[in-house]
Amino acid sequence: MSDIVTVAVDATLITLVLALAAFGLAIIYGLIGVINMAHGAMLTLGAYIAWAVTSQGFAFPIAVLTAGVTVGLIGLALEHTIIRHFYDRPFDTLLLTWAFFLIITEVIKIIFGTDFRNVPSPFPGAITIAGVTIPAYRSFVAALSLALMMGTAVLLYRTSLGIKIRALIQNREVASLLGLNIDRTYKTVFGLGSFIAGLSGALIAPMLSVDPYIGNVYLVRSFFVVIVGGIGQVLTGTLVGSFLIGGAETLFAVLSNQVVAQAAVFFLAIVILRFRPEGVIRPR
Amino acid sequence: MKKSDWLGGMSRRTALKGMVAGVAALGAPAIIRRASAADPIRIGVISPLTGAWTVYGKAHISGFELAVEEINAAGGVLGRPMEMVVGDSKTEPRIVVEQANRLIRQERVDLLAGTFSSAERNAAGPVVKSADKILLYPTWYEGQEKEYFPGVCNPNIFMFGPEPTQQVWPHMEYMVGNFGKKFFMIGSDYAWPRVTNQVTKRKLEELGGEVVGEVYIPFNTPQYESVLRDIRNSGADIIFHSLTGSDTVNFRQQFVAAGMNNDFVLWTVDDEEVVTSGLGPDVSANTYVSFDYFMSIKHPNNVAFLERFRAKYGADALMNTVGVGMYNAAHMAALAIEKAGEVSTEALRTSLKGVVFNEAPQGVVRMREEDNQAVVPSYLMKVRPGWTSVNDMFEEVQSFESVEPLAARCDLPL
Repeated sequence: MSDIVTVAVDATLITLVLALAAFGLAIIYGLIGVINMAHGAMLTLGAYIAWAVTSQGFAFPIAVLTAGVTVGLIGLALEHTIIRHFYDRPFDTLLLTWAFFLIITEVIKIIFGTDFRNVPSPFPGAITIAGVTIPAYRSFVAALSLALMMGTAVLLYRTSLGIKIRALIQNREVASLLGLNIDRTYKTVFGLGSFIAGLSGALIAPMLSVDPYIGNVYLVRSFFVVIVGGIGQVLTGTLVGSFLIGGAETLFAVLSNQVVAQAAVFFLAIVILRFRPEGVIRPR
Repeated sequence: MKKSDWLGGMSRRTALKGMVAGVAALGAPAIIRRASAADPIRIGVISPLTGAWTVYGKAHISGFELAVEEINAAGGVLGRPMEMVVGDSKTEPRIVVEQANRLIRQERVDLLAGTFSSAERNAAGPVVKSADKILLYPTWYEGQEKEYFPGVCNPNIFMFGPEPTQQVWPHMEYMVGNFGKKFFMIGSDYAWPRVTNQVTKRKLEELGGEVVGEVYIPFNTPQYESVLRDIRNSGADIIFHSLTGSDTVNFRQQFVAAGMNNDFVLWTVDDEEVVTSGLGPDVSANTYVSFDYFMSIKHPNNVAFLERFRAKYGADALMNTVGVGMYNAAHMAALAIEKAGEVSTEALRTSLKGVVFNEAPQGVVRMREEDNQAVVPSYLMKVRPGWTSVNDMFEEVQSFESVEPLAARCDLPL
């Protein structure tokens, strides 16, 4: 019995942490269609900023915010100088953001070097509830991930900015004919996605080794999350996708082992896409 | 672009002339060159300077560089200076093959040193075999099993790092006696961890122990919940750890976050100074580590070595078993060349055997004749809780001055 609970807790935590890592991509790719390959580098950058700020003696929350804001500003600069000229050419944005990914990774290596860094966990150790051990920091991040999604849900469905964004996704021409400032809305979304990517990178940092490739671990998984969950389905899609890509791995691992589970999950993803090319959550 | 423009306006004749001149220039050095007394001895060094294992790359190359500098300051070998020609392996076996070929055929080096992982060495094996060049391999590794020829059991490859019967076996009795007989083995999914565990199991069976779990993790795995659950349910006494690179850090952070460091003894055969620094004091505290060399060993050779190392690379620079392997490799190659009186592969292959290096940082190191395996010391260390730098990172548990490994599982003698 306690085994089942442990597996359920593990699966939930993995789902929510992966959802956090994929969320920035879900916003940028899902809402404005930019295939943001730089997402991995944005996570890495967030993690390094968190390391740099905490190693200067600042508190962890300050480090997380600094990471989010800095990466958000870099995202805005990238959008303003380059990406905005390519919104109607998604394949070109793939190459541009990939180049950007390579550049950021190299710049990180030049500035920070290639040694392993670590960000001390703000909540080390684990809590035991009814015989089930739960890593403290991981559950904090999972809760935060949920809160962040709720916040975004409020933004998308309860504010006028949200209405603008949704109008834009539904029909760009009509939205612009109705006097919506398309350019500014795109910019806001790209900035928001970058901000969340930086924030996530910083939050993930205490759980993983901070090295120039930390974001790569999540890049491919994030894309699978977004595509399997359903492009444009920012909230439910991300959650369902994260469960199928991350949580399911834990369940498979119970039945076999970690290696088989990783392969099985990606096989599952391909099967899902074969039969539901638009993702599990279909647009209404 | 117009079709006729492809030579940039050059006429066909000019282009041909240029090509002929170019070919002549390429061929010339080979014809003109003849080893004169002052010609440098060229050594191709293949290091992981970029890619996943860059963290180990810095100590790897600086160990060799320091040795070459010392040799040249003392007048070189046979009156000739040593010269390094560096190739970046990018941590990819495929690139190792390219670099080894480039260094041998274009740079015309006299011998090769380096490669880092077993996968890299196994990639270089066929190249040094067919080109008949010597490779000096510095890393702790899985030992020589015939099925991995020509990556091992290759008369042209000399091993300067410890293998499991030196790195692991000497400390098994202590670990089993003090902490228990049940091992859970976790390693990265490639040759080194798999074969190392296989060799470790033989000794464990001898001691009446058993393996209660064994998992191999693909590179770049971020999540370890299911593995941690398996370990918790396995009833293991000791976690025998051979994960590499960032996976080590990822696993160990989650291991400590789950509070499991209080319930299990962890023994790692991968985490030298660089990785332990990356883990940080909280995550690495109280784990056991075994190697032939640590920066903190008190041997007078090491004290003098670190003084020279820090003078060149700065007070915070990190050294480790691989860097020292490279350092010893350069010095022992120089001794062998001096002994033979010439630099040919044939001469090196014979004269490297039996070379003894008394100034090795970890103590006396000898190259065993029958299987080209270095005989080195072996240390078991415990990571001190709350360490602040490499100087107080490890606490010695036990050590052996010189450990003869089992004979290589090859057609001996090599």
